[in-house]
Amino acid sequence: MTRADIDLQVQLGRLQLPNPILVASGTFGYAREMEAFVDLKRLGGIIPKTITKEPRKGNPPLRTVETAAGLLNSIGLDNDGMEQFIVHILPYLAELGVPILASIAGRNQTEFVELAERLSHASTTSGQASLAGIELNISCPNVSHGVDFGTDPIQCERLVAACRAASALPIVAKLTPNVTSICDMARAASAGGADAIALINTCLGMAIDWRGRRPRLGNVLGGLSGPAIKPIALRCVWQAAQATKTAIIGIGGIASVDDCMEFFVAGASAVQLGTVNFYNPRATMDVLDALPDALAEAGVLSVADVVGTLQVIPS
Amino acid sequence: MQSSSFPTDSGRSVFYADKAHMETARILDHRSIAEQTYRLRMECPTIADRIVPGQFVMLRIPACNDPLLGRPLALYDTVFDPAGRVVGLDIVYCVIGKMTRLLAGQRSGDPIDVWGPLGNGFPPLVCRHLLLVAGGIGQTPFYSLAKERLGQKVYGNRSRSVPRVEKVTLCYGVRSANFLAGVAEFQDAGIQVEICTEDGSIGHRGLVTESLQAILSESNEDCHIVCCGPEPMLEATARIAATWNVPCDVSLETPMACGIGLCFSCVVKIRQPDGGWDYQRACVHGPVFDATKIVW
Ligand SMILES: Cc1cc2nc3c(=O)[nH]c(=O)nc-3n(C[C@H](O)[C@H](O)[C@H](O)COP(=O)(O)OP(=O)(O)OC[C@H]3O[C@@H](n4cnc5c(N)ncnc54)[C@H](O)[C@@H]3O)c2cc1C
Ligand SMILES: Cc1cc2nc3c(=O)[nH]c(=O)nc-3n(C[C@H](O)[C@H](O)[C@H](O)COP(=O)(O)O)c2cc1C
Ligand code: FES
Repeated sequence: MTRADIDLQVQLGRLQLPNPILVASGTFGYAREMEAFVDLKRLGGIIPKTITKEPRKGNPPLRTVETAAGLLNSIGLDNDGMEQFIVHILPYLAELGVPILASIAGRNQTEFVELAERLSHASTTSGQASLAGIELNISCPNVSHGVDFGTDPIQCERLVAACRAASALPIVAKLTPNVTSICDMARAASAGGADAIALINTCLGMAIDWRGRRPRLGNVLGGLSGPAIKPIALRCVWQAAQATKTAIIGIGGIASVDDCMEFFVAGASAVQLGTVNFYNPRATMDVLDALPDALAEAGVLSVADVVGTLQVIPS
Repeated sequence: MQSSSFPTDSGRSVFYADKAHMETARILDHRSIAEQTYRLRMECPTIADRIVPGQFVMLRIPACNDPLLGRPLALYDTVFDPAGRVVGLDIVYCVIGKMTRLLAGQRSGDPIDVWGPLGNGFPPLVCRHLLLVAGGIGQTPFYSLAKERLGQKVYGNRSRSVPRVEKVTLCYGVRSANFLAGVAEFQDAGIQVEICTEDGSIGHRGLVTESLQAILSESNEDCHIVCCGPEPMLEATARIAATWNVPCDVSLETPMACGIGLCFSCVVKIRQPDGGWDYQRACVHGPVFDATKIVW
């Protein structure tokens, strides 16, 4: 078996990707920022920073604090809103020739549906289909408005179903690990008709300056990401893979090709690299260079052949 | 790709690290130059060939997960070999926390991850007298700036031309004499250095803004102020500049998680033409800003 025989394409529901290495929302700007470091065309997919219907200023600084092997953030969905995204950012992304999944967050179901409709429309009217899918950010820990689509399975299923009905584009539901049962949430997203389930978003946490008796983050609480959360993410992917047949996209602390392989074996069909882009802007390229050899070492010809192959010996 | 219609702010360009490069560099030289202050020389010709005064690089200790992120450090100077070929660059840093403490333990020959150049350099600053105001480690971006504006050195593209100034004064404030770094080097370049210390151990006892006031009261004709240091000092300097009607730019040391525009952690409140304000990323819109645009 040689590297040339290896097929990197992956199929997640209706979503087909040239390879399983994507970049996570909020950790890759709007992609333009990475031109100098990354051959963007090689990526399996790009999920730009989450957009909301109206512009949002986001949370006050400090917005990030480094912790042991991790990063706490409370950016608060700082973005210029849906219309600015469509006019100023989407045309650039569409030209890259890479699957783009727009990440959206609404304050309620109506807003989610409006966002999904408007983006699907914008995607098809620009001549070529500029979006490959939509990722529902139902898991941001920094903007709670009472309705928590990410923690209530009934609300989650309804929301996914409503967005699926509103858009012809494949739908990815991005889940939070801050729940009692990730299996219930994965089943709900699946029942709602999600093409894929992406997990995890950040783990809720905080950092304290004890001398000043102050929280370090401007927003007090924030989401933890980076290598520190990888074991939690692996656990969530593995549990979700047991609970549903829907394709899974693994996220959380991934920094190397070995990390990616661990997520595939746990049950993920694709992965998103997040915080690593901050401290190694070339990480996606390093992983893509190494992936064919890792798959060859696993003795498989495609990514799908290694997905969910974890063997747990019954005690 | 360059034609993409990304929004720009208030007339200044947004710098997307188009010319940035990442490499694992070798440390060529590393020495203590003042209390808690080190000068680090790295072999990174590609970055050094492109970087201009006011820009910065991100530095990270390879494969280290704690500290995890890179840290932003300003260009101090570029380094050439005897044949005139660009070799690398120098940064000057102060030990304040996790990463800088570890960095101080790195030795010549050790590898270091570096990526840049990042951020926008200093704007053209057309004036006769360039007044540099530095607090603490804030003098680091000024050495290359002064050398270039005095016509002694060219940074970045060889054909780059910047407006010349006749005179450069550095108002340099530190806690105590032993924290002063690089004063002789600044003086050798023909820069007038006004030293202020909090404890009066050398120079004027008091704040650097007092020195600035004294200079401006002698003459504020055709001056331009550039300031770098702790935020209260930046704000005070901006206020003085406004009082004397002298243009002022500030270089911010906002904490940064990525330095390349990805994370939106380094935001600063910037005045908008409509009278309101918006958060802008210091790493791609700055780190140098027109002081009148900042909402302090
Ligand atoms: C564009 C730019 C250029 C810079 N150039 C230089 C330079 O040339 N030389 C130099 O010595 N430093 C420079 N800095 C500052 C430097 O990045 C920080 O000192 C460094 O990140 C500290 O890292 P650390 O791990 O040692 O400290 P940490 O462990 O990260 O921090 C220790 C403590 O200091 C606080 N802190 C960290 N960074 C800052 C900050 N920027 N402002 C205020 N408080 C902070 C933290 O909240 C914490 O309490 C620059 C910063 C920027 C944004
Ligand atoms: C600074 C920052 C901003 C983020 N913004 C978003 C966002 O806008 N939307 C979203 O769905 N996830 C966001 N995330 C979460 C990431 O996409 C990802 O799910 C999480 O960081 C875990 O992956 P990692 O450990 O590889 O970073 C953000 C994460 C970070 C660190
Ligand atoms: S430091 Fe990440 S956007 Fe500026």
